[in-house]
Amino acid sequence: MTNSSADARVFAAGSLDAVAAALVAAGFRVVAPVRQGDLTRLTLWQPGQAIDLEHFTVNSAKEFLLPATETIQRYDIDGNDFTPVEVAPDATKTVLLGIRPCDAASLTLMDTVFNWDFEDVFYNTRRQACIVVPLVCTRADESCFCTSVGLGPDSSRNADAMLMFAEGGKKLILSPVTEKGRTLAASAGAAAQAAPDKTCDVPVRFNVQAVTAWLADAFDSPAWAELSAGCLSCGACAYACGSCHCFDIQDESAAGGAVRYRNWDACCMALFTKHTSGHNPRSASQARWRQRVMHKFSYIPQRFNLLGCTGCGRCTRLCPAGMTVAETCERIDAICQSTPSVK
Amino acid sequence: MSLIEAIRADASQLLQEGHVKMVLGYRARYDRRLPLLITQADQVTALVYDEACWQNLPTYIRKSEVRSAMPVAIVCRPEGIRSLLVLASEAQIAPDAVRVLAVVGSEYRGAMDLAAAAELIKDLPPAPVAPDVAAKLDELAAMSANDRAAFWRDALAACTRCYACRASCPVCYCQNCVVERNTPQIVSTTAAPHGNFAWNIVRAFHQAGRCTLCGACQAACPQDLPLMLLNAWIERQVREEFAFISGSGLNEPPFIGSWSPNDDDKFIR
Repeated sequence: MTNSSADARVFAAGSLDAVAAALVAAGFRVVAPVRQGDLTRLTLWQPGQAIDLEHFTVNSAKEFLLPATETIQRYDIDGNDFTPVEVAPDATKTVLLGIRPCDAASLTLMDTVFNWDFEDVFYNTRRQACIVVPLVCTRADESCFCTSVGLGPDSSRNADAMLMFAEGGKKLILSPVTEKGRTLAASAGAAAQAAPDKTCDVPVRFNVQAVTAWLADAFDSPAWAELSAGCLSCGACAYACGSCHCFDIQDESAAGGAVRYRNWDACCMALFTKHTSGHNPRSASQARWRQRVMHKFSYIPQRFNLLGCTGCGRCTRLCPAGMTVAETCERIDAICQSTPSVK
Repeated sequence: MSLIEAIRADASQLLQEGHVKMVLGYRARYDRRLPLLITQADQVTALVYDEACWQNLPTYIRKSEVRSAMPVAIVCRPEGIRSLLVLASEAQIAPDAVRVLAVVGSEYRGAMDLAAAAELIKDLPPAPVAPDVAAKLDELAAMSANDRAAFWRDALAACTRCYACRASCPVCYCQNCVVERNTPQIVSTTAAPHGNFAWNIVRAFHQAGRCTLCGACQAACPQDLPLMLLNAWIERQVREEFAFISGSGLNEPPFIGSWSPNDDDKFIR
């Protein structure tokens, strides 16, 4: 269990909205979970909105660092004159308030990919302007599997400050972890101490080392046909996922010229790998599902020594067909356990 | 025998006797109901059915893995049967390629071929429009065109262009969807108001006279967009202006794709 730091602040859980308002007054933009109709969404918080820490959000924090659509270039076109116009990346100081530890943990992979062979100025500018404040989870549901991928409900990975419930959920502790986190403390009241509430139990659902080991030789496994049977090739899982980062560049005409967008893309979609020649190496849905699972649990580990999944469970909650990396990993683990070891 | 025991018994028999090579039904995983595709009779024990099962399973016919396993048996409610009839009328499935395991309300009506399923739904009313949706349609009809456009721009703002709606819809079977044509890019793929408006409105128009109001698109949408409101708007127009109900018979001519010399409109003569 995480203990609160010496410079922690404690306030009534019902005052979180007031703390957010104080942050806005101090010049920060606040992103927080807000109930909208029948679902809860991480959104740009407006004073007057109630922050919802009870439900899991349908979206991850990813969209505030890598938006679903982002203008990355403009062009003025006048006859044959073609002038690129730079677009300044968004550097607004933003507090991600009350995201989950799994959301915060996924930033490790995002930071790595967007600085691997190219430094992505749009991602990096937003990232540097972000202050990450995950809420330690005191509740989990059957879709959560952070503990299966080396994390936990109180993981402080990438956190600038931690939010923790205390006194049975009646109070909240804001516990700074980094210098950036300390800049928030002034908006959260006087320094105080409290004992954090017990975190929730998240049972381990599969042995991720066994899954990664099996995947190393499993490209041609006949298991993929059954593992992928339900997939309908939409992008719901990839877009909800905090670790997925594929994108598509689109040029569109606009008044006076053109705009270049960077839009989310998803490897599960049928035409993701269609070449201009017309050939599509992943025309079968089982090839795409295999790719998705192997990217997260085999290729990313090989390349970066990280997992491409933080166990947030959004894919599980949102897939219309019930396709989830968690269930695929559970089934692979079962295959491993029922296959006699030859080593 | 309970409803699910009867479904399992028929599914098992159809597979064992080789009448079908695959059964499409539902399974349970915790609280959720999910599609299940089985090819062996001993797998029927995993089949479940209750009112929480919402997916329109004929959407799986788009998958080559399912087409190559035809004939298949599919657990269908009336809206799903109507979707199959639309697919048959558009020459997407041969009538003997599917058997229907028909559920009407909380009753299992047995395993039957598509012609018998068409008879079954003949006397059933089409899927009802929920009262709150019907009230909203009236409200939208009373708005000016500009106000209505603003309503839809805001209602569709949260769309991320994941296409779960398209994937869940049995009659969205185009291998090369209009949104993916890019020489030229006809429909913007950008998840911004102009792109979201274009995508959702274009898709709804393509479902005119084909949508059976099964609700799978809205249930699938991760952002809970009011897609059924859009579909119900068009369904109302099709029903009131053209007296047409989607998927009402085995050989119904397609709504958009056909013309009769007895058409009311005289301008075309």
